[in-house]
Amino acid sequence: MFGYDTEALRNLLATIIQNNIKPDAWAWLSNQGDITNTATFNAAFAMMPRKTGKAVITITPEQAQELNTIRPGFTIEDWTADRLGRVYLLSQANATDKERYFAVIENLFLAAEMNELVALYSALPVLAYADQWVKRCAEGIRSNIGSVLEAIMYHNPYPAENLSEAAWNQLVMKAIFTDKQLTLITGLNERNNPELARILMDFARERGAAGRSVVPELWHLASPFTDAGIVNAVKQQYTTI
Amino acid sequence: MCCSHSFEDKPLPGQKPEAFDITAVKGMKFFDPHVHMTSRTTDDYQAMADAGVVALIEPAFWLGQPRTGIDSFRDYYSSLVGWERFRSSQFGIKHYCTIGLNSREANNEALAEQVMEILPLFVYKDGVVGVGEIGFDDQTAAEEKYYRLQLDLAKEAGLPVQVHTPHRDKKHGTQRSMDIALEHCLDPYTVIIDHNNEETVKEVLDRGFWAAFTIYPFTKMGNQRMVEVVKQYGSERIMINSAADWGISDPLAVPKTAALMKLNGISAEDIELVTYRNAITAFAQSGQIDEADFGVNIDQSAKFEGNSILRGGQQPRVDKSSIIIS
Ligand SMILES: [Zn+2]
Repeated sequence: MFGYDTEALRNLLATIIQNNIKPDAWAWLSNQGDITNTATFNAAFAMMPRKTGKAVITITPEQAQELNTIRPGFTIEDWTADRLGRVYLLSQANATDKERYFAVIENLFLAAEMNELVALYSALPVLAYADQWVKRCAEGIRSNIGSVLEAIMYHNPYPAENLSEAAWNQLVMKAIFTDKQLTLITGLNERNNPELARILMDFARERGAAGRSVVPELWHLASPFTDAGIVNAVKQQYTTI
Repeated sequence: MCCSHSFEDKPLPGQKPEAFDITAVKGMKFFDPHVHMTSRTTDDYQAMADAGVVALIEPAFWLGQPRTGIDSFRDYYSSLVGWERFRSSQFGIKHYCTIGLNSREANNEALAEQVMEILPLFVYKDGVVGVGEIGFDDQTAAEEKYYRLQLDLAKEAGLPVQVHTPHRDKKHGTQRSMDIALEHCLDPYTVIIDHNNEETVKEVLDRGFWAAFTIYPFTKMGNQRMVEVVKQYGSERIMINSAADWGISDPLAVPKTAALMKLNGISAEDIELVTYRNAITAFAQSGQIDEADFGVNIDQSAKFEGNSILRGGQQPRVDKSSIIIS
Protein backbone atom coordinates (compact mmCIF):
# COMPACT_ATOMS: atom_id res chain seq x y z
CA MET A 1 0.00 0.00 0.00
CA PHE A 2 2.91 2.38 0.59
CA GLY A 3 5.84 2.80 -1.78
CA TYR A 4 8.30 3.69 0.98
CA ASP A 5 9.35 2.79 4.54
CA THR A 6 6.42 4.20 6.52
CA GLU A 7 7.88 3.39 9.92
CA ALA A 8 11.07 5.30 9.16
CA LEU A 9 9.07 8.29 7.92
CA ARG A 10 6.84 8.38 11.00
CA ASN A 11 9.85 8.22 13.30
CA LEU A 12 11.68 10.99 11.51
CA LEU A 13 8.62 13.26 11.35
CA ALA A 14 8.01 12.58 15.05
CA THR A 15 11.55 13.71 15.89
CA ILE A 16 11.24 16.87 13.81
CA ILE A 17 7.84 17.77 15.27
CA GLN A 18 9.04 17.26 18.83
CA ASN A 19 11.82 19.75 18.15
CA ASN A 20 9.31 22.30 16.90
CA ILE A 21 6.28 22.23 19.19
CA LYS A 22 5.68 22.45 22.94
CA PRO A 23 5.84 19.23 25.00
CA ASP A 24 2.14 19.33 25.88
CA ALA A 25 1.23 19.73 22.19
CA TRP A 26 3.36 16.71 21.38
CA ALA A 27 1.81 14.73 24.22
CA TRP A 28 -1.57 15.42 22.62
CA LEU A 29 -0.53 14.80 19.00
CA SER A 30 1.26 11.54 19.71
CA ASN A 31 -2.03 10.12 20.96
CA GLN A 32 -4.00 11.02 17.81
CA GLY A 33 -4.38 9.23 14.51
CA ASP A 34 -6.98 6.52 15.14
CA ILE A 35 -9.20 6.62 12.06
CA THR A 36 -11.66 4.12 13.48
CA ASN A 37 -12.90 7.05 15.60
CA THR A 38 -13.76 9.45 12.78
CA ALA A 39 -15.11 12.29 14.92
CA THR A 40 -11.96 12.44 17.04
CA PHE A 41 -9.71 12.11 14.00
CA ASN A 42 -11.56 14.94 12.21
CA ALA A 43 -11.46 17.17 15.28
CA ALA A 44 -7.72 16.56 15.76
CA PHE A 45 -7.12 17.47 12.12
CA ALA A 46 -9.18 20.67 12.39
CA MET A 47 -7.80 21.92 15.71
CA MET A 48 -4.13 21.29 14.86
CA PRO A 49 -3.07 24.99 14.82
CA ARG A 50 -4.59 25.48 18.30
CA LYS A 51 -2.26 22.79 19.61
CA THR A 52 0.91 23.18 17.53
CA GLY A 53 0.86 26.89 16.72
CA LYS A 54 1.69 28.14 13.24
CA ALA A 55 5.37 28.97 13.51
CA VAL A 56 7.63 27.98 10.63
CA ILE A 57 9.53 24.83 11.59
CA THR A 58 13.28 24.39 11.60
CA ILE A 59 14.84 21.26 10.20
CA THR A 60 18.53 20.32 9.99
CA PRO A 61 20.20 19.63 6.63
CA GLU A 62 20.78 16.05 7.83
CA GLN A 63 17.07 15.59 8.54
CA ALA A 64 16.16 17.01 5.13
CA GLN A 65 18.62 14.60 3.56
CA GLU A 66 17.24 11.64 5.51
CA LEU A 67 13.69 12.60 4.51
CA ASN A 68 14.69 12.61 0.87
CA THR A 69 16.25 9.16 1.28
CA ILE A 70 13.12 7.69 2.87
CA ARG A 71 10.67 9.33 0.46
CA PRO A 72 12.52 10.76 -2.57
CA GLY A 73 11.35 14.24 -3.55
CA PHE A 74 9.35 14.78 -0.35
CA THR A 75 10.33 17.95 1.48
CA ILE A 76 8.90 19.86 4.44
CA GLU A 77 11.19 22.87 4.44
CA ASP A 78 9.49 26.19 5.27
CA TRP A 79 6.36 24.38 6.42
CA THR A 80 4.44 25.68 9.41
CA ALA A 81 4.04 23.50 12.50
CA ASP A 82 0.31 22.96 11.90
CA ARG A 83 0.92 21.82 8.32
CA LEU A 84 3.51 19.32 9.47
CA GLY A 85 1.31 18.22 12.37
CA ARG A 86 -1.55 17.50 9.99
CA VAL A 87 0.61 15.53 7.59
CA TYR A 88 2.02 13.61 10.56
CA LEU A 89 -1.52 12.87 11.74
CA LEU A 90 -2.40 11.51 8.28
CA SER A 91 0.76 9.39 8.28
CA GLN A 92 -0.46 7.80 11.53
CA ALA A 93 -3.74 6.68 9.97
CA ASN A 94 -4.02 2.91 9.70
CA ALA A 95 -4.42 2.03 6.01
CA THR A 96 -5.33 -1.66 6.33
CA ASP A 97 -9.01 -1.01 5.74
CA LYS A 98 -8.64 0.58 2.32
CA GLU A 99 -12.25 1.73 1.99
CA ARG A 100 -12.36 3.44 5.37
CA TYR A 101 -8.93 4.97 4.91
CA PHE A 102 -9.95 6.52 1.62
CA ALA A 103 -13.38 7.64 2.85
CA VAL A 104 -12.05 9.35 5.99
CA ILE A 105 -9.32 11.26 4.19
CA GLU A 106 -11.50 12.15 1.19
CA ASN A 107 -14.05 13.53 3.64
CA LEU A 108 -11.39 15.85 5.08
CA PHE A 109 -10.86 17.28 1.60
CA LEU A 110 -14.59 17.92 1.20
CA ALA A 111 -14.88 20.00 4.37
CA ALA A 112 -11.45 21.62 4.35
CA GLU A 113 -10.55 25.26 4.91
CA MET A 114 -7.61 26.82 3.07
CA ASN A 115 -4.75 25.75 5.34
CA GLU A 116 -6.23 22.29 5.70
CA LEU A 117 -6.29 21.94 1.93
CA VAL A 118 -2.64 22.95 1.80
CA ALA A 119 -1.76 20.23 4.32
CA LEU A 120 -3.91 17.62 2.60
CA TYR A 121 -2.39 18.15 -0.83
CA SER A 122 1.08 18.30 0.72
CA ALA A 123 0.42 14.84 2.15
CA LEU A 124 -0.33 13.18 -1.19
CA PRO A 125 3.24 11.80 -1.61
CA VAL A 126 3.07 9.97 1.73
CA LEU A 127 -0.50 8.64 1.62
CA ALA A 128 -1.20 4.95 1.03
CA TYR A 129 -2.66 3.75 -2.28
CA ALA A 130 -0.98 6.43 -4.40
CA ASP A 131 -3.08 5.65 -7.49
CA GLN A 132 -6.31 6.33 -5.54
CA TRP A 133 -5.56 10.05 -5.22
CA VAL A 134 -5.04 10.89 -8.89
CA LYS A 135 -8.55 12.32 -9.37
CA ARG A 136 -8.27 14.26 -6.12
CA CYS A 137 -4.95 15.75 -7.24
CA ALA A 138 -6.41 16.76 -10.62
CA GLU A 139 -9.32 18.34 -8.74
CA GLY A 140 -6.88 20.33 -6.63
CA ILE A 141 -5.28 21.73 -9.76
CA ARG A 142 -8.69 23.13 -10.71
CA SER A 143 -8.61 25.22 -7.51
CA ASN A 144 -8.13 28.95 -7.82
CA ILE A 145 -6.66 29.35 -4.35
CA GLY A 146 -3.00 30.29 -4.74
CA SER A 147 -1.64 28.52 -1.67
CA VAL A 148 -3.46 25.30 -2.55
CA LEU A 149 -2.01 25.32 -6.04
CA GLU A 150 1.45 25.91 -4.63
CA ALA A 151 1.07 22.96 -2.25
CA ILE A 152 0.41 20.71 -5.25
CA MET A 153 2.89 22.26 -7.64
CA TYR A 154 5.92 23.23 -5.58
CA HIS A 155 8.36 20.60 -4.29
CA ASN A 156 5.64 17.94 -4.42
CA PRO A 157 6.69 14.69 -6.12
CA TYR A 158 3.16 13.24 -6.30
CA PRO A 159 1.88 14.87 -9.52
CA ALA A 160 4.91 13.97 -11.64
CA GLU A 161 4.82 10.40 -10.37
CA ASN A 162 1.10 9.78 -10.77
CA LEU A 163 -0.74 12.14 -13.11
CA SER A 164 -1.68 11.19 -16.64
CA GLU A 165 -0.10 13.23 -19.41
CA ALA A 166 -3.27 15.25 -19.92
CA ALA A 167 -3.57 16.06 -16.21
CA TRP A 168 0.12 16.91 -16.01
CA ASN A 169 -0.19 19.30 -18.92
CA GLN A 170 -3.12 20.98 -17.17
CA LEU A 171 -0.93 21.42 -14.10
CA VAL A 172 1.79 23.15 -16.11
CA MET A 173 -0.68 25.38 -17.95
CA LYS A 174 -2.49 26.26 -14.72
CA ALA A 175 0.87 27.16 -13.18
CA ILE A 176 1.57 29.50 -16.09
CA PHE A 177 -1.91 31.05 -15.96
CA THR A 178 -1.62 31.71 -12.24
CA ASP A 179 1.93 33.09 -12.43
CA LYS A 180 3.56 30.31 -10.43
CA GLN A 181 7.31 29.76 -10.50
CA LEU A 182 7.74 26.90 -12.94
CA THR A 183 11.24 26.06 -11.70
CA LEU A 184 9.78 24.90 -8.36
CA ILE A 185 7.62 22.22 -10.01
CA THR A 186 9.00 18.76 -9.29
CA GLY A 187 9.48 16.75 -12.51
CA LEU A 188 9.00 19.69 -14.89
CA ASN A 189 11.67 18.48 -17.33
CA GLU A 190 11.11 14.76 -16.80
CA ARG A 191 7.41 14.99 -17.67
CA ASN A 192 7.86 17.41 -20.59
CA ASN A 193 6.14 16.06 -23.73
CA PRO A 194 5.26 16.94 -27.35
CA GLU A 195 1.59 17.59 -26.58
CA LEU A 196 2.56 20.10 -23.88
CA ALA A 197 4.93 21.77 -26.34
CA ARG A 198 2.07 22.12 -28.84
CA ILE A 199 -0.23 23.65 -26.20
CA LEU A 200 2.53 26.02 -25.09
CA MET A 201 3.24 27.20 -28.63
CA ASP A 202 -0.47 27.83 -29.30
CA PHE A 203 -0.60 29.73 -26.04
CA ALA A 204 2.46 31.77 -27.03
CA ARG A 205 0.78 32.76 -30.32
CA GLU A 206 -2.42 33.71 -28.51
CA ARG A 207 -0.53 35.85 -26.01
CA GLY A 208 1.46 37.47 -28.79
CA ALA A 209 -1.74 38.34 -30.65
CA ALA A 210 -3.12 39.94 -27.48
CA GLY A 211 0.00 42.00 -27.01
CA ARG A 212 0.87 40.19 -23.80
CA SER A 213 4.10 38.52 -22.71
CA VAL A 214 4.99 34.93 -21.78
CA VAL A 215 7.39 33.50 -19.19
CA PRO A 216 10.84 32.60 -20.58
CA GLU A 217 10.53 28.98 -19.32
CA LEU A 218 7.85 28.46 -21.96
CA TRP A 219 10.46 28.46 -24.73
CA HIS A 220 12.63 26.11 -22.74
CA LEU A 221 9.79 23.57 -22.48
CA ALA A 222 8.56 23.94 -26.05
CA SER A 223 11.95 23.86 -27.78
CA PRO A 224 12.82 20.15 -27.46
CA PHE A 225 9.66 19.21 -29.39
CA THR A 226 9.30 22.17 -31.74
CA ASP A 227 11.06 23.16 -34.91
CA ALA A 228 13.62 25.84 -34.02
CA GLY A 229 12.44 27.99 -36.93
CA ILE A 230 8.87 28.01 -35.63
CA VAL A 231 9.96 28.90 -32.11
CA ASN A 232 11.99 31.78 -33.43
CA ALA A 233 9.15 32.99 -35.64
CA VAL A 234 6.73 33.09 -32.70
CA LYS A 235 9.36 34.69 -30.51
CA GLN A 236 9.55 37.50 -33.07
CA GLN A 237 6.02 38.55 -32.03
CA TYR A 238 7.45 39.50 -28.68
CA THR A 239 10.41 41.59 -29.73
CA THR A 240 8.45 44.81 -29.50
CA ILE A 241 7.03 44.11 -26.05
CA MET B 1 -28.94 38.48 7.67
CA CYS B 2 -31.65 37.92 6.34
CA CYS B 3 -34.49 40.14 5.86
CA SER B 4 -37.08 39.12 3.37
CA HIS B 5 -39.10 42.27 3.30
CA SER B 6 -40.07 43.67 -0.05
CA PHE B 7 -38.70 47.05 -0.90
CA GLU B 8 -41.34 48.17 -3.38
CA ASP B 9 -43.60 49.79 -0.84
CA LYS B 10 -40.84 51.55 1.08
CA PRO B 11 -40.59 55.27 0.44
CA LEU B 12 -37.27 56.41 -0.89
CA PRO B 13 -35.54 59.07 1.19
CA GLY B 14 -37.06 62.43 0.40
CA GLN B 15 -33.97 64.43 -0.34
CA LYS B 16 -30.64 63.64 -1.85
CA PRO B 17 -28.39 62.35 0.94
CA GLU B 18 -25.08 63.88 1.80
CA ALA B 19 -22.19 62.24 -0.06
CA PHE B 20 -19.94 59.89 1.90
CA ASP B 21 -16.60 61.63 2.21
CA ILE B 22 -14.08 58.91 2.78
CA THR B 23 -11.46 61.37 3.99
CA ALA B 24 -13.49 61.83 7.19
CA VAL B 25 -12.39 58.36 8.30
CA LYS B 26 -8.99 58.30 6.62
CA GLY B 27 -6.45 56.30 8.60
CA MET B 28 -9.10 54.59 10.75
CA LYS B 29 -9.41 50.81 10.89
CA PHE B 30 -12.75 49.02 10.92
CA PHE B 31 -13.98 45.54 11.80
CA ASP B 32 -17.37 44.54 10.40
CA PRO B 33 -18.52 41.63 12.60
CA HIS B 34 -21.52 40.69 10.46
CA VAL B 35 -21.44 40.76 6.66
CA HIS B 36 -22.39 38.12 4.09
CA MET B 37 -19.61 38.52 1.55
CA THR B 38 -20.67 35.44 -0.41
CA SER B 39 -23.42 37.65 -1.81
CA ARG B 40 -21.16 40.58 -2.62
CA THR B 41 -18.91 41.48 -5.53
CA THR B 42 -15.19 42.16 -5.74
CA ASP B 43 -16.07 45.86 -6.11
CA ASP B 44 -17.50 45.69 -2.60
CA TYR B 45 -14.33 44.10 -1.26
CA GLN B 46 -12.26 46.80 -2.90
CA ALA B 47 -14.49 49.58 -1.56
CA MET B 48 -14.38 48.11 1.95
CA ALA B 49 -10.59 47.82 1.86
CA ASP B 50 -10.34 51.41 0.60
CA ALA B 51 -12.60 52.61 3.42
CA GLY B 52 -10.41 50.97 6.06
CA VAL B 53 -12.19 47.66 6.76
CA VAL B 54 -9.31 45.35 7.77
CA ALA B 55 -11.26 42.33 9.01
CA LEU B 56 -14.78 40.97 9.02
CA ILE B 57 -16.95 38.12 10.23
CA GLU B 58 -19.28 36.28 7.86
CA PRO B 59 -22.01 34.50 9.83
CA ALA B 60 -23.53 31.38 8.31
CA PHE B 61 -27.12 32.09 7.31
CA TRP B 62 -29.72 31.09 4.74
CA LEU B 63 -29.37 31.81 1.06
CA GLY B 64 -32.63 33.64 0.45
CA GLN B 65 -34.33 30.36 -0.32
CA PRO B 66 -34.25 27.12 1.63
CA ARG B 67 -31.67 24.42 0.93
CA THR B 68 -33.04 20.98 0.15
CA GLY B 69 -30.11 18.74 0.98
CA ILE B 70 -27.25 18.33 3.42
CA ASP B 71 -24.55 18.65 0.77
CA SER B 72 -25.68 22.23 0.08
CA PHE B 73 -25.03 23.02 3.73
CA ARG B 74 -21.65 21.34 3.69
CA ASP B 75 -20.56 23.13 0.53
CA TYR B 76 -21.75 26.44 1.98
CA TYR B 77 -19.86 26.00 5.25
CA SER B 78 -16.75 24.87 3.44
CA SER B 79 -16.95 27.89 1.12
CA LEU B 80 -17.02 30.17 4.19
CA VAL B 81 -13.71 28.76 5.42
CA GLY B 82 -12.30 28.19 1.94
CA TRP B 83 -13.08 30.12 -1.19
CA GLU B 84 -14.63 33.18 0.47
CA ARG B 85 -11.70 33.47 2.86
CA PHE B 86 -9.37 33.43 -0.12
CA ARG B 87 -11.42 35.97 -2.05
CA SER B 88 -11.26 38.32 0.92
CA SER B 89 -7.52 37.86 1.38
CA GLN B 90 -6.99 39.12 -2.16
CA PHE B 91 -8.08 42.53 -0.93
CA GLY B 92 -6.08 42.42 2.28
CA ILE B 93 -9.18 41.85 4.41
CA LYS B 94 -8.96 39.15 7.09
CA HIS B 95 -12.03 36.93 6.84
CA TYR B 96 -13.49 35.10 9.84
CA CYS B 97 -16.80 33.32 10.07
CA THR B 98 -19.31 31.92 12.50
CA ILE B 99 -20.85 28.54 11.78
CA GLY B 100 -24.38 27.50 12.64
CA LEU B 101 -27.82 26.44 11.53
CA ASN B 102 -29.95 29.55 10.95
CA SER B 103 -33.37 29.82 12.49
CA ARG B 104 -35.39 29.69 9.28
CA GLU B 105 -33.95 26.39 8.14
CA ALA B 106 -34.18 24.94 11.63
CA ASN B 107 -37.84 24.49 10.75
CA ASN B 108 -37.00 21.68 8.31
CA GLU B 109 -36.36 19.19 11.10
CA ALA B 110 -35.31 16.25 8.94
CA LEU B 111 -32.59 18.34 7.35
CA ALA B 112 -31.74 20.15 10.59
CA GLU B 113 -30.86 16.84 12.21
CA GLN B 114 -28.32 16.15 9.47
CA VAL B 115 -26.90 19.67 9.75
CA MET B 116 -26.37 19.20 13.49
CA GLU B 117 -24.30 16.13 12.68
CA ILE B 118 -21.85 17.97 10.42
CA LEU B 119 -21.51 21.15 12.50
CA PRO B 120 -18.74 19.68 14.73
CA LEU B 121 -16.68 19.15 11.58
CA PHE B 122 -16.65 22.93 11.08
CA VAL B 123 -16.78 24.67 14.45
CA TYR B 124 -13.23 23.67 15.39
CA LYS B 125 -11.74 25.00 12.19
CA ASP B 126 -9.19 27.76 12.13
CA GLY B 127 -10.80 31.20 11.87
CA VAL B 128 -14.22 30.07 13.11
CA VAL B 129 -14.86 32.66 15.81
CA GLY B 130 -18.28 31.62 17.01
CA VAL B 131 -21.49 29.69 16.57
CA GLY B 132 -23.87 31.85 14.55
CA GLU B 133 -26.05 33.30 13.40
CA ILE B 134 -28.55 31.29 15.39
CA GLY B 135 -31.72 32.14 17.31
CA PHE B 136 -35.32 32.86 16.50
CA ASP B 137 -37.23 33.86 13.38
CA ASP B 138 -40.85 32.68 13.64
CA GLN B 139 -40.15 31.58 17.24
CA THR B 140 -41.34 28.02 16.60
CA ALA B 141 -40.64 24.97 18.76
CA ALA B 142 -38.19 23.65 16.15
CA GLU B 143 -36.27 26.93 16.20
CA GLU B 144 -36.02 26.74 19.96
CA LYS B 145 -34.83 23.13 19.86
CA TYR B 146 -31.92 23.82 17.50
CA TYR B 147 -31.07 27.09 19.21
CA ARG B 148 -30.65 25.19 22.46
CA LEU B 149 -28.62 22.39 20.88
CA GLN B 150 -26.28 24.91 19.28
CA LEU B 151 -25.81 26.81 22.54
CA ASP B 152 -24.55 23.54 24.00
CA LEU B 153 -22.26 23.05 21.00
CA ALA B 154 -20.82 26.54 21.49
CA LYS B 155 -20.21 25.84 25.15
CA GLU B 156 -18.46 22.59 24.37
CA ALA B 157 -16.30 24.17 21.67
CA GLY B 158 -15.51 27.21 23.83
CA LEU B 159 -16.88 29.61 21.23
CA PRO B 160 -18.88 32.84 21.50
CA VAL B 161 -22.45 32.87 20.17
CA GLN B 162 -23.83 35.29 17.58
CA VAL B 163 -27.57 35.54 18.10
CA HIS B 164 -29.93 36.65 15.34
CA THR B 165 -33.02 38.28 16.82
CA PRO B 166 -36.36 38.14 14.99
CA HIS B 167 -37.96 40.93 12.97
CA ARG B 168 -41.45 40.09 14.15
CA ASP B 169 -42.26 40.23 17.85
CA LYS B 170 -38.70 41.44 18.27
CA LYS B 171 -38.62 42.56 21.87
CA HIS B 172 -40.12 39.37 23.21
CA GLY B 173 -37.94 37.22 20.92
CA THR B 174 -34.83 39.02 22.14
CA GLN B 175 -35.76 38.50 25.78
CA ARG B 176 -36.44 34.83 25.15
CA SER B 177 -33.09 34.40 23.36
CA MET B 178 -31.29 35.79 26.41
CA ASP B 179 -33.35 33.77 28.91
CA ILE B 180 -32.50 30.54 27.11
CA ALA B 181 -28.79 31.38 26.81
CA LEU B 182 -28.66 31.92 30.59
CA GLU B 183 -30.62 28.72 31.17
CA HIS B 184 -27.83 26.90 29.31
CA CYS B 185 -25.31 28.52 31.66
CA LEU B 186 -23.61 30.63 29.03
CA ASP B 187 -21.68 33.64 30.29
CA PRO B 188 -23.52 36.64 28.76
CA TYR B 189 -20.11 38.13 28.05
CA THR B 190 -19.65 35.39 25.40
CA VAL B 191 -23.00 36.07 23.72
CA ILE B 192 -23.50 38.76 21.07
CA ILE B 193 -27.15 39.72 20.66
CA ASP B 194 -27.54 41.07 17.14
CA HIS B 195 -29.95 43.39 15.30
CA ASN B 196 -30.79 45.49 18.34
CA ASN B 197 -32.83 48.67 18.26
CA GLU B 198 -33.77 51.44 20.70
CA GLU B 199 -36.35 49.15 22.30
CA THR B 200 -34.09 46.20 23.04
CA VAL B 201 -30.67 47.67 23.81
CA LYS B 202 -31.17 48.60 27.45
CA GLU B 203 -32.13 45.16 28.67
CA VAL B 204 -29.40 43.49 26.60
CA LEU B 205 -26.72 45.67 28.15
CA ASP B 206 -28.22 45.52 31.65
CA ARG B 207 -28.10 41.72 31.57
CA GLY B 208 -24.41 41.72 30.60
CA PHE B 209 -24.67 40.68 26.94
CA TRP B 210 -22.97 42.37 23.97
CA ALA B 211 -25.35 44.49 21.90
CA ALA B 212 -24.77 44.54 18.16
CA PHE B 213 -26.59 46.96 15.86
CA THR B 214 -27.16 46.37 12.19
CA ILE B 215 -27.09 49.44 9.98
CA TYR B 216 -29.35 48.32 7.16
CA PRO B 217 -31.60 50.54 5.07
CA PHE B 218 -35.39 50.50 5.52
CA THR B 219 -35.75 47.47 7.79
CA LYS B 220 -33.21 47.93 10.57
CA MET B 221 -31.20 50.74 12.10
CA GLY B 222 -30.43 53.89 10.15
CA ASN B 223 -27.11 55.34 11.17
CA GLN B 224 -28.51 58.65 12.38
CA ARG B 225 -30.47 56.70 14.97
CA MET B 226 -27.26 54.81 15.76
CA VAL B 227 -25.49 58.05 16.58
CA GLU B 228 -28.23 58.80 19.12
CA VAL B 229 -27.92 55.32 20.65
CA VAL B 230 -24.19 55.81 21.26
CA LYS B 231 -24.85 59.27 22.68
CA GLN B 232 -27.30 57.75 25.13
CA TYR B 233 -25.67 54.41 26.02
CA GLY B 234 -21.99 55.08 25.40
CA SER B 235 -19.68 52.54 23.84
CA GLU B 236 -19.38 49.74 26.37
CA ARG B 237 -20.31 46.32 24.87
CA ILE B 238 -21.86 48.00 21.80
CA MET B 239 -20.79 47.19 18.25
CA ILE B 240 -22.16 47.97 14.81
CA ASN B 241 -22.26 45.92 11.62
CA SER B 242 -23.59 46.14 8.07
CA ALA B 243 -25.19 42.67 7.78
CA ALA B 244 -24.84 43.38 4.05
CA ASP B 245 -26.17 40.45 2.04
CA TRP B 246 -28.16 39.81 -1.14
CA GLY B 247 -30.74 42.42 -0.20
CA ILE B 248 -30.43 46.18 -0.67
CA SER B 249 -27.76 46.80 1.91
CA ASP B 250 -24.49 48.64 2.32
CA PRO B 251 -21.09 46.98 2.90
CA LEU B 252 -19.71 50.39 3.87
CA ALA B 253 -22.22 50.84 6.70
CA VAL B 254 -19.52 50.63 9.39
CA PRO B 255 -17.11 53.26 7.99
CA LYS B 256 -20.05 55.49 6.98
CA THR B 257 -21.48 55.36 10.47
CA ALA B 258 -18.05 56.13 11.91
CA ALA B 259 -17.91 59.20 9.68
CA LEU B 260 -21.37 60.28 10.79
CA MET B 261 -20.42 59.81 14.45
CA LYS B 262 -17.36 61.92 13.93
CA LEU B 263 -19.42 64.70 12.34
CA ASN B 264 -21.76 64.51 15.33
CA GLY B 265 -19.02 64.98 17.88
CA ILE B 266 -18.71 61.45 19.23
CA SER B 267 -15.21 60.90 20.61
CA ALA B 268 -12.59 59.07 18.57
CA GLU B 269 -12.25 56.60 21.41
CA ASP B 270 -15.96 55.71 21.40
CA ILE B 271 -15.99 55.43 17.61
CA GLU B 272 -13.05 53.04 17.73
CA LEU B 273 -14.78 50.90 20.34
CA VAL B 274 -18.07 50.48 18.48
CA THR B 275 -16.62 50.11 14.98
CA TYR B 276 -13.53 48.03 15.73
CA ARG B 277 -12.33 47.14 19.22
CA ASN B 278 -15.47 45.77 20.90
CA ALA B 279 -16.14 43.24 18.15
CA ILE B 280 -12.58 41.99 18.46
CA THR B 281 -12.79 41.75 22.24
CA ALA B 282 -16.04 39.80 22.04
CA PHE B 283 -15.12 37.36 19.28
CA ALA B 284 -11.45 36.96 20.27
CA GLN B 285 -12.78 34.90 23.18
CA SER B 286 -12.71 32.13 20.56
CA GLY B 287 -8.90 32.28 20.64
CA GLN B 288 -9.07 32.62 16.85
CA ILE B 289 -8.42 36.32 16.27
CA ASP B 290 -4.92 37.74 16.00
CA GLU B 291 -4.74 41.41 15.05
CA ALA B 292 -1.28 40.79 13.57
CA ASP B 293 -3.09 38.95 10.75
CA PHE B 294 -5.13 42.00 9.73
CA GLY B 295 -4.47 43.76 6.47
CA VAL B 296 -1.19 41.99 5.88
CA ASN B 297 -1.54 42.25 2.12
CA ILE B 298 -2.74 45.83 1.95
CA ASP B 299 0.66 47.45 1.60
CA GLN B 300 1.54 45.15 -1.24
CA SER B 301 -1.18 46.43 -3.52
CA ALA B 302 0.84 49.35 -4.73
CA LYS B 303 3.59 47.29 -6.24
CA PHE B 304 1.18 45.23 -8.30
CA GLU B 305 -0.30 48.18 -10.10
CA GLY B 306 0.42 48.00 -13.80
CA ASN B 307 2.30 44.78 -13.22
CA SER B 308 1.16 41.34 -14.28
CA ILE B 309 3.19 39.51 -11.65
CA LEU B 310 0.95 38.35 -8.80
CA ARG B 311 2.12 36.90 -5.55
CA GLY B 312 0.22 35.39 -2.64
CA GLY B 313 -3.01 35.70 -4.56
CA GLN B 314 -3.07 39.51 -4.38
CA GLN B 315 -5.39 40.90 -7.02
CA PRO B 316 -4.12 43.57 -9.39
CA ARG B 317 -6.16 46.71 -9.15
CA VAL B 318 -8.53 47.50 -11.93
CA ASP B 319 -8.79 51.15 -12.91
CA LYS B 320 -12.54 51.65 -12.87
CA SER B 321 -12.32 55.12 -14.30
CA SER B 322 -10.71 53.90 -17.48
CA ILE B 323 -12.73 52.91 -20.56
CA ILE B 324 -9.88 50.53 -21.45
CA ILE B 325 -10.12 46.97 -20.10
CA SER B 326 -6.77 45.24 -20.44
ZN1 LIG C 1 -27.03 38.01 8.76
